[in-house]
Amino acid sequence: MTVQTETSAVTSKPPAAVPTWRRWIIVLAPLWTLLALGLFFSITSQTFLRPINLNNILVQISTLAIFGTGLTFVLLTGEIDLSVAALAGLSGMLSAHLFTNLGWPDPWASFIGIGAATLLGLLSGLASVRFRIPTFMATLAVQLIATGLVLFISQGRVVNVTPLSDTLGTERIGGPGGVQILIVVALITLLIGHLVLRYTRFGRYIYMTGASKPAARLAGVNTDRIIIIALTICGFTAGIAGIVHAGRVASAQPQINGDFLIDAIGAVVLGGTSLNGGRGGIMQTVIGLLIYGTLRNGLDNIPQIDPMLKKVITGIVLLGALVVNLLFSGKAPRDRTG
Amino acid sequence: MGAWSQVYVLREAAVSSPTPVLELKHISKNFGGLQALDDVDFDLREGETHALVGENGAGKSTLMRILAGVYSEYEGEYLLDGQRIRLQNPNEALQRGIGMIHQELSVMPELSVAENLFLGHQPTTRWGVVDWKRMNAVAEEELGKLGFGNIDVKQPLEKYSLGTQQVVEVLRVILSGARVLIMDEPTTALSPAEVERLIQLIDALRQQKRSIIYISHFLDEVMRVADRITVLRDARKVATLARAETTMNQLISLILGREVNATLPAATSISHEHTLLEVRGLTADVYQDVSFSIGQGEIVGLYGAIGAGHFDVARTLFGMYRFDSGTIIVDGHAFPRNFSARYAIQHGLAYATESRRKSLFLDNAIYKNITLPHLSRIGKYIPRQTQELEVARPAMATVNVQPPDPLNPVGKLSGGNQQKVAIARWLTFPPKVFIMSEPTRGMDVGAKSEVLGTLRNFRNEGYGVLVASSEPETVLAVSDRILVMSRGRIVAHMENKNLDKDVLMRLL
Repeated sequence: MTVQTETSAVTSKPPAAVPTWRRWIIVLAPLWTLLALGLFFSITSQTFLRPINLNNILVQISTLAIFGTGLTFVLLTGEIDLSVAALAGLSGMLSAHLFTNLGWPDPWASFIGIGAATLLGLLSGLASVRFRIPTFMATLAVQLIATGLVLFISQGRVVNVTPLSDTLGTERIGGPGGVQILIVVALITLLIGHLVLRYTRFGRYIYMTGASKPAARLAGVNTDRIIIIALTICGFTAGIAGIVHAGRVASAQPQINGDFLIDAIGAVVLGGTSLNGGRGGIMQTVIGLLIYGTLRNGLDNIPQIDPMLKKVITGIVLLGALVVNLLFSGKAPRDRTG
Repeated sequence: MGAWSQVYVLREAAVSSPTPVLELKHISKNFGGLQALDDVDFDLREGETHALVGENGAGKSTLMRILAGVYSEYEGEYLLDGQRIRLQNPNEALQRGIGMIHQELSVMPELSVAENLFLGHQPTTRWGVVDWKRMNAVAEEELGKLGFGNIDVKQPLEKYSLGTQQVVEVLRVILSGARVLIMDEPTTALSPAEVERLIQLIDALRQQKRSIIYISHFLDEVMRVADRITVLRDARKVATLARAETTMNQLISLILGREVNATLPAATSISHEHTLLEVRGLTADVYQDVSFSIGQGEIVGLYGAIGAGHFDVARTLFGMYRFDSGTIIVDGHAFPRNFSARYAIQHGLAYATESRRKSLFLDNAIYKNITLPHLSRIGKYIPRQTQELEVARPAMATVNVQPPDPLNPVGKLSGGNQQKVAIARWLTFPPKVFIMSEPTRGMDVGAKSEVLGTLRNFRNEGYGVLVASSEPETVLAVSDRILVMSRGRIVAHMENKNLDKDVLMRLL
């Protein structure tokens, strides 16, 4: 007994305060990574800094940004969604099929696609909460369902997209030379996500659920419902991303682009949102997305690099960036249990 | 073959000898200025059950850890069979024949009884595969010797009760070579029938000339099983008594260090002006038939040893632990069978757990911790930080959180101040009944009295307060009435008038 009181006395001692400047370095670690990468490519590539290329980066990460918003919600609760890429594929394919093959009127065809993705997100949430299946497994199963549905609906064929897809994916505001609509859609999605997470009661519940589920429950938060809603939101944003992406590539594809899943999770985590939940946010996701986009695009702009090696380099740089993030935040060697 | 044959060798070596099996001389242990043991002597004879008793913090655990090889740094001598040794770790202790039975069993519920008995050293055939036949036969034989021949050794252990699992654990430790067994609070989680079985086991072990060090809060048990009893108080050894020449009152006076009055107070009949919380016949897996009520302006203490079920009752009242039957009525409103913490909050309950780590968000700002349960009342959709701070500041001031900066993360506060935050979160929209488990655990004297003062203020303002605790001082200091729980049942119900620790202790 003596020992117990002794140890608790030690833990109850207030930990040493972290100076403010250090805290800023910690919080901004991903930003330093971004700046370093940007600087590197500006020096090594002549084309990187051109406005048209910077615009390219934004276009390239826009779809990812829409996914990333919903995924940020899910990761903040300490859960995960492995179905986003498949849900996006389903949304794109279902709406294209309804419109092109069955002749449904458009905005409705697209809405139904998004709705289907949203419903499957809800299904993941309900299944994992009701039956205590880890979201890792529940969303993996839903991912299979969605992938299968896409194949079944398309019968393995490429389908022409809906007009809404086309508009969102290709057109610009203010005619040629204007801003591409998909960048605007991405920005709006991110902005709404940011406002909800940062300022609303629901946003607070998301963070607190991720920070500690037992503590949140003790404070009367219905953590089950929060997780269901987060997964539903994630399905919804995946649905939008699917419509936008189909428009951008001008067709709904029968194969799911598996890179999307890894890219989206990678970007969100790279920005500093914790996989354990409770820490991070849309701002971090934005930085993570920019790092991702910069890296991808930058490598394309250095002609000396063997294109076949690009994935390897991307992986190595990502690993390095994650380690730097962890080292800066001082969390690397310590365990979060207990 | 090796470890297995060793068992028989040990048994044959167990001839009676005049020297104690184990002896500690002048043991002192210091934890950074805190004297945990001060010049303590202890000896254990062959075939003897020697109980170690004392209040929380008297030094029992420290002594036990030295005996079991957990601590290798201490002053004094450790003699085993008359030879000076210094154990470096629990493994070495077991190799030398000193085994430990922890409060938390370390059995594998999915494995069979026999597999559990031979965990890590199953007998093998000459082909190197497990010799199931022999393993099962020996397991049956060994259990039979201790009077547990009715256990089917091929069944998975989880099919058996906790008491049986404990028997298996004890035998497992013996089979891995222990002739000295240290049992740490072995009966806290057992039903009365299972306690009887354990006592039967200890008698059988005594017949086998094995020596047992028995640590327990339950003095009636100690008086039944022990041959000798050593009392520790404030890190010192007070006495070693022969059980046969000792009375319960004597023992309690030695533990507490003063005379005790021998009579128990009469049970109280209660009459409240206005009942805020009424619990009737509440039953779950770890407690049975718990009934009590709390009136307006009353603090009720729910006292029990760790594992008695009082913390689980508190958890149940807040919807955090499932109950099987019984009713909970808060201010005239009956709760449904399944309700959430949210429901409990909405109907006027507040709860601070025994684990601040689990109930607070240590990385998050104090104000967020305080406002979370009431966020919907602060702002239906968008709670503003300024409003939240307006709520947090006065609540923090009421309980005197230091430093009083609501933007600080809770994790940076001292334990006492964290507890104040756990209380402060319920002050803005006061509940009807405040439930607190172990409100003062691990706090210094100043913080303790502040927290207890806050609880008294609640009472004076007309709330009901339930304090579940295993610290008799805390319960005695604040309660108007005290309920004592032992092994899942309420065993006493008294008004807190002229009550003393000895009464609570006797009732455990």
